[in-house]
Amino acid sequence: MADVPNNMAASAQALPLSLDRKRKKEEDRELVRLSQNGTEAAFEELVRRHQQRVFALVGGILRRPEDVEDVAQQVFLKAYLGIKRFDQRAAFSTWLYKIAVNECWDYLRKKKVRPLVYEADLSEEQVSRLDGIVSADRPPEGPGARAETREVLDRMLAALPEQDRQLLVLKEMEGFSVQELAEILDLNVNTVKVRLFRARGRIMDVYRRRMDSSGKLAGSRSTQRKG
Amino acid sequence: MVTETEFGYTACPKYEALLEDYLDGALELTDAKSAEQHWRNCANCRGALEQAASSVRLLRLAGPSVGPGPAFARTVMTRIRAAEQERSSERAGFWQPLVSLGWRFAATATLVLGALVSYDAGWGRHAQRNLATARLIGTSDIFAPDPANPPADRDEVLMMVAETNHGK
Repeated sequence: MADVPNNMAASAQALPLSLDRKRKKEEDRELVRLSQNGTEAAFEELVRRHQQRVFALVGGILRRPEDVEDVAQQVFLKAYLGIKRFDQRAAFSTWLYKIAVNECWDYLRKKKVRPLVYEADLSEEQVSRLDGIVSADRPPEGPGARAETREVLDRMLAALPEQDRQLLVLKEMEGFSVQELAEILDLNVNTVKVRLFRARGRIMDVYRRRMDSSGKLAGSRSTQRKG
Repeated sequence: MVTETEFGYTACPKYEALLEDYLDGALELTDAKSAEQHWRNCANCRGALEQAASSVRLLRLAGPSVGPGPAFARTVMTRIRAAEQERSSERAGFWQPLVSLGWRFAATATLVLGALVSYDAGWGRHAQRNLATARLIGTSDIFAPDPANPPADRDEVLMMVAETNHGK
């Protein structure tokens, strides 16, 4: 059984952000070719390279942290079983993310649940917390505070149509590019841009409404309108 | 005049995609110049752009979701191996009825062949015995004339017939 080239394993472990995308794609192609010939180690390397993004994608759609790992495993299992039929016309990542999106919808359909829906209303305490975070204009420190912020934002995002919510989460929280979103969701690039832009307006509407209802934004709103 | 949604602004539809590109830092220089010229004079687009920029700041506060644990890839590979084993045993299970049918067919065919061979062997012996009997009968044929002492006339023939059982 052939082994994964050492340089690939090393670069995959370090995963520097500056890693040239083209080179990464070429390495993926080689790993896919090896996997198609039955090299398990090559597929394991592909899992390591893409696990973070698959987690982000699945998490962005499901919003159920307890289910994300299970669905992500299922995504890689399906990819492994189908890799011999993958003709490499698209990038491996695009193919894999499409499997992930389909797997998420299958999972939700089988479980007969919608992505986790919070009550859109925020408590006074949550509004204060969010106000504090926004005023500070920097991400909260510590995993607990980050999780809390995320929960508050999730509650706000729940007030949006599902597609708006997904686009915003995947773009702004999970770091997918417009091009990637278009490929993953089978949409035209321009459509993604327009929908994203409109979704931004909607989430800010929700945010202002929440703040306004607790009296926190009254001053800033009137200032903005005058401006 | 500024058109607003309930709280915010709505950009001119023609410029929405450009504004998104601008936010993303992906706007070409020539497009950027014409877009900037437009929203310098368009309060809707300017307001919508500010609003969208605020959404970026707001949503990025949460940061990405929690990633996989260090054992994730190993767990996936273990699951893959288990699935592979299950698949190969299922594949064997799929052909199992055909294999057992094949064996049964082979056993039946052997039995039938054996029966045919033994029948053929028995029939052969029987046929040989019949042939021998026929030969025996052939040599003591009552109507066959004795080559050493052939009848001289018709009366002698009648006498020969009368001397055998057939004459009684």
